Amino acid sequence: MTPPNALRPAPGPPRPYHFPDFTHRPLGQGLTLWVVPLPDRELVSVQLLVDGGAAAESEPEGGIAALTAETLVTGTRRLDGHAFAEATERLGIEIFADSSWDVARSGFSALADRYPAGLELLAEMVREPRFDEGEFDRLREERLADILQSRSEPGRLADEWFLRAVYADDSPYARLSAGTPETVEPLTVEQARAHHARHWRPDRAHLVVAGPVRVDDVVRAAEATLGDWDGTSPGHRTIPVADRGGRRIVVVDRPGSVQSELRVGHVGIERSHPDYFPALVMAALLGGTFSSRLNQRLREELGYTYGARAAFDMRRAAGPFSARAAVQTEVTADAVRETLALVEGMRAAPPDEAELREVIDFLIGVFPLRFETTGGAAAGIEPIAVYGLDHDWWATYRDRIEAVGPVQVHDAAVDLLRPADALIVLAGDAARVRPDLEAADLGPIEVVRPADD
Amino acid sequence: MAHIPIQRHRLDNGLRVILSPDGRTPIVAVNLWYGVGSRHEERGRTGFAHLFEHMMFQGSANVAKGEHFAMVNGVGGTLNASTWTDRTNYFETLPSHELELALWLESDRMASLLPAMTQEKLDNQRDVVKNERRSSVDNQPYGTAEERMQALLWPEGHPYHHSTIGSMEDLSAASLEDVSRFFATYYAPNNAVLTVAGDFDPEAALAAVGRHFGPIPANPDLPPSPIMDVPDSLGGEVREVVPDQVELPRVHVAYRIPPFGTEGHQAFDVVSDLLGTGRASRLYRSLVRERQLAADVAAFVFPWAGGSTVLAVWATARPEIEVDTLEAQLLDDVARLATDGPTDDELARVRTLHAAAAEQGLEQVGERADRLSQYACLFDRPEMVNTEIERYDAVTAGQVRQAMADRAGADNRLVLTYIPAEDAAEDAA
Repeated sequence: MTPPNALRPAPGPPRPYHFPDFTHRPLGQGLTLWVVPLPDRELVSVQLLVDGGAAAESEPEGGIAALTAETLVTGTRRLDGHAFAEATERLGIEIFADSSWDVARSGFSALADRYPAGLELLAEMVREPRFDEGEFDRLREERLADILQSRSEPGRLADEWFLRAVYADDSPYARLSAGTPETVEPLTVEQARAHHARHWRPDRAHLVVAGPVRVDDVVRAAEATLGDWDGTSPGHRTIPVADRGGRRIVVVDRPGSVQSELRVGHVGIERSHPDYFPALVMAALLGGTFSSRLNQRLREELGYTYGARAAFDMRRAAGPFSARAAVQTEVTADAVRETLALVEGMRAAPPDEAELREVIDFLIGVFPLRFETTGGAAAGIEPIAVYGLDHDWWATYRDRIEAVGPVQVHDAAVDLLRPADALIVLAGDAARVRPDLEAADLGPIEVVRPADD
Repeated sequence: MAHIPIQRHRLDNGLRVILSPDGRTPIVAVNLWYGVGSRHEERGRTGFAHLFEHMMFQGSANVAKGEHFAMVNGVGGTLNASTWTDRTNYFETLPSHELELALWLESDRMASLLPAMTQEKLDNQRDVVKNERRSSVDNQPYGTAEERMQALLWPEGHPYHHSTIGSMEDLSAASLEDVSRFFATYYAPNNAVLTVAGDFDPEAALAAVGRHFGPIPANPDLPPSPIMDVPDSLGGEVREVVPDQVELPRVHVAYRIPPFGTEGHQAFDVVSDLLGTGRASRLYRSLVRERQLAADVAAFVFPWAGGSTVLAVWATARPEIEVDTLEAQLLDDVARLATDGPTDDELARVRTLHAAAAEQGLEQVGERADRLSQYACLFDRPEMVNTEIERYDAVTAGQVRQAMADRAGADNRLVLTYIPAEDAAEDAA
């Protein structure tokens, strides 16, 4: 007889869960206000999203969006950098501002009774920023120091070179959204002021407030602080995304490295791609979970790495697809071969039902975990606001995941994965990995040095 | 959540059970703290507690290798584990109707890990852990700093002298016999705390806990804690310079301070915030904003309860800045806190920031469960989670000054400096 505890216990009846109800309305001069009331929470999450990310830059000014965002938190006309930091911290909040390709954002999280005062400071910062030249120069130098620093971090080195080698020269996506030393070095506070004046405008902006708030109160607070914020912005440009194409290996030489940071991939797809859901499920099956094919093979069977993953980085235009792992130097060529074989395997045949079921059940089951916090709920609004998704995006999300079958996964792999064309970037010890790579005959090899331009 | 509900139970086999119901989202967290970490390791087996943690995912009597992850992920749950000096924790957050799955998985490996162990699995996870060490320590700029800090702050043979990740040599030496002995010694219900937080019915959950964990025998011979005594002070300044694959020098300064959970420790939580939390903090203001000597700064204490623990600060030099200049100013800023103490406004700010951060920390059921396990495992007082803010707010400016004067002087100071390897080579030439 099997003892009772030998069997996996049966689940209880699931409790229904849906993404929290939210409302949105235009406010003042074109700003869109989104409110997610979560009455039983303690914290309020506030996020201001503007169409002033790196996609809104002009190329010679690469990195200005990120520096503009960072400079914003160094004070207002009324308060210098330190005084502004003190004012926010007296409320128990830290205002952040940053920028990615598709959006520049600023916000904070506050105990419920402090958020109106926090919103006042945020609005003051956005509308009457100080843009002190000394603070800007300091932040630019810190950014340059960070880029310099990144050259000693193998993971960041591999990321940077992967983008550089995968996109054609005319694509801004060939660089990091924060810019390169060449583009950042000449930037001035005047350019930050101009980027702010042009892009931090209400007409394409969204204010998201999630937490124990009443819609009327939020409307009043937002009206009072941002209601007469005015101006219009040109928004983002269209990003060209040509893939250089062709199987190649780029070794970023880092003598003495005990591991190789590996990136294998090519240009992927844009956020609005019709195969968004099949692509999501397919990538999760290949490299999105602990049990995924990549992690099982490279970590749990071969012990080559602490972890391996693969994902599409979907942006307004086609961002990269990549598989990634940090693998022991001695097995570098083998790890590349295994990775390519797994990507090819996705195209060879549909996954079996059980394997697919597990991935789909994960993506569906993990849904409530993603929106547990007020910050999580606010983050759930961001893609709807920024990419103009249907407002029932989260309401239909699980059904659309559930609808992905083995055939769709296979089709997505055939259509969207191009292992024969994949770029292979390795940040590691070139002298030690090169002979094996040559013997494996995986493609032409180019060795570069981290500081090469 | 001003007051987290806490129900305490203890099974006959000694397992402490903490229940904290909250039905706002239909998810539940299961969290286990075992009272074993790298400070319990035998000589020549550094890194073993952590390697053992990996073995806990390699299957048990009724769970195949890989199934633990697959089953929890397969219902939409997330999971992981971690090892540190004083403890090893295992945790799952999953849709609430699958609570019993997590209890079953955790109990199966607590009850019956050894029948599933094989040399092949050990060899595989040894390789994985060695790659973890390469990724997080050996192949990372400044990656060895924490390890060097431990080695210099505590004498040879002291349980905090070595890092949790351990040495490659010791990892190579670990055997299946070590796995068996470690399991039998430490992975017993009377050396663990099980916390359940989130959406569940306490009565039904307690019954399920009893069903799954109740039959597991206690270990009547839990070893006593290793001896952790060291003098309060290092007895002088300790200095080391490490040439590394870095672009910018970084200076770390560290001090031995009283153990986490003691009154003497509390002031240093406040100290680390005054020095390094937020853009208005002293080190950010002085080193980053005003003097522009540092590209970034940090200040922190480790919540180690086994014996003396550490207050550490570090700053990365900006390009063209001499690391000696940076160090001198950093030490001056730290010393000033001992002479001047914090202003009322500074204290009020860090208290407000801390209260908001504490609330944010408890927002997720997983984090809440982990804190409850922590206080229950280390002090047998899970209720301490509800007095975090009061305890912090009780620290006065006078206590900060005194704590700094007692512990942050040159006689108790470690200065560990990372410099670019090329610079070191030039100096030698």
